[in-house]
Amino acid sequence: MTASLRAWLALGAVLGALAPAAGVRAATLVITVQAADGRPLQGVVVAARSLDPQAPRPAPIKAVMDQIDRTFTPDLLVIPVGSTVTFPNTDRVSHQIYSFSPAKRFQLPLYRGTPYPPVHFDQAGVVTLGCNIHDEMVGYLVVTDAPYYGRTDARGAWTADVAQGRYRIAVWHPRMRDSEADLERELTVGASDRAALTLRLAKALQPAPLSDRPHSWDY
Amino acid sequence: MTCCASARRRAPILPLAALGLALAARAGLCAATDWELSVDARLVDSNAEPSLMEGGLGTTRFSSNDDGLQLGRIRLAVTQPLGELWSAHADLSMYDDKDRSPVGATEAYLLFRPYPVAGYRLRLKAGAFYPPISLENRAPGWDSPYTLSYSAINSWLATEVRPIGLEGTLDWLGTRGGHEFDLGATGGVFGWDQGTGVVLTNNGFSLTDRQTPLFGRVGQPGANPLGGAEPFLQFDHQAGVYGGLELRYLDRVVLRVLRYDNRAEPLADDDTTANYSQETRFTSAGARVEADHGWTGIVQWLDGETITAQDGVPGGLSSWPFRAQFALVSKRFGRHSLSVRYDRFTVDSVNGWGYGAQDGHALTAAYVFERDAHWRCTLEWLQVVSSSSSRVAFGGPPLLTETQLQLAVRYALGSGVY
Repeated sequence: MTASLRAWLALGAVLGALAPAAGVRAATLVITVQAADGRPLQGVVVAARSLDPQAPRPAPIKAVMDQIDRTFTPDLLVIPVGSTVTFPNTDRVSHQIYSFSPAKRFQLPLYRGTPYPPVHFDQAGVVTLGCNIHDEMVGYLVVTDAPYYGRTDARGAWTADVAQGRYRIAVWHPRMRDSEADLERELTVGASDRAALTLRLAKALQPAPLSDRPHSWDY
Repeated sequence: MTCCASARRRAPILPLAALGLALAARAGLCAATDWELSVDARLVDSNAEPSLMEGGLGTTRFSSNDDGLQLGRIRLAVTQPLGELWSAHADLSMYDDKDRSPVGATEAYLLFRPYPVAGYRLRLKAGAFYPPISLENRAPGWDSPYTLSYSAINSWLATEVRPIGLEGTLDWLGTRGGHEFDLGATGGVFGWDQGTGVVLTNNGFSLTDRQTPLFGRVGQPGANPLGGAEPFLQFDHQAGVYGGLELRYLDRVVLRVLRYDNRAEPLADDDTTANYSQETRFTSAGARVEADHGWTGIVQWLDGETITAQDGVPGGLSSWPFRAQFALVSKRFGRHSLSVRYDRFTVDSVNGWGYGAQDGHALTAAYVFERDAHWRCTLEWLQVVSSSSSRVAFGGPPLLTETQLQLAVRYALGSGVY
């Protein structure tokens, strides 16, 4: 088998995994999230969980969250349950990563480079990451069991091709003051080609972290 | 007047160092050492009276005798992990101002930092360190990123407040759990503090960035009024204590309050020199607010008194109540920043024939250009207006305006500088 053929077969396998269940007609789901003042909100995590117990679960992935210039990079990852994440430290100073979030409690003792194996995340929920040396470092992993998930774009929209059925839509943002439960909605994706839902936060977001402060500060 | 001589009892720095080395050997030095080296050179123009280190009563670090090129500071800081949860920290500095040793440690301690559990985090320090008071001295080496000269409050801490002992801090990390606040409580027990207050008693407040190294000297032997005072002495068996609270709102607001009491016995004297100890206690509070577009505002407040024995006064004790406040506003423009600070400070003299009374205010303006993490250039103008009964006692004017202009160039390198 040539390398080119193997590549096409691999692409086909990936597309097959992402496609709605065979035999079920697909529709486009568009979720739009607005801030309390009506402006589109970028970077909101959206998860569409099927209420059909037979619905397939998302396939685990292997992800990487680096530490560059005393910042988790990216600072937020959305991963399916069962995924693994590697936490290399590209900085020239040591970091000591921890999480005491109920969804995953773990520590990576003081290190540089990539001395530790990937961490396995087997429970849905938000995992907040910190560094026990540098308090200003904060990162988030959103571990989801929803078959469709993603983050809103600059227009505040997230779009996915989903199988027909009934879904519970949940949204989350690190600076969101609204409770997740208040923003959960149920939605039926029927025979039409498009289903849309707009969610508007009731409360203003927390202020964004200050970004232009030299990282050497805070004795 | 009171004046301190050499320490009778040293802090157990050598045993602490030995413990550190033993822990390092046990840990196999498995984690890499973090280090930083910096050199800070100054061009100075000052009309101030002879400074603290010259034994004078000037209120700035450099006097009219120091015009020209001066060494600001050479600093080497090392952090050595000792296993997973322990680390050793040493901050060494050279100021080239005739201290007893050309190189001294401004801080040296072991730190135990277990992982947070259920949102709570404990940290323990053993050694010599600053109590969590300053909201201005947030840069490496306890420097201020806003100005060269520290405020009167934090200059005094740099000169003669350095607990040598144990500190524990318990933090509730609310922001890691979806809340907007973090809370912290700190307590410390310390010794080698019986000289703390002697500089305030004799000279009052000053605005400097010179940090007295551990067991270092302030002033020169034989140069009155201080005569080479040593703030870090121990010749009674009383441990000092402090306790403080900190509240943080996201990464934007920090509020701190702390009560300090060295609990020294003011009638205790040094067997050799017959000098008395200083009982010094104070309350400090402060707030730092940072906003979008590079704005920072800081206010700090200090109120306390220092008491010592004095021959010939009723009750044998004299007291110097002191108060100081400052407000600072800073604005960053990319790699540039402008900062302005206004200080007020007062030392009263009770039952001490008026000696040591001081009243003054200061205005500081600074421009900082950080070309990158390595190079920093600062231009600072500082003017202090003060009245001082000590200065009058030594033949000086009752009211004096002192002005100091500094141009500083600092180069830093190290594992954490990039």
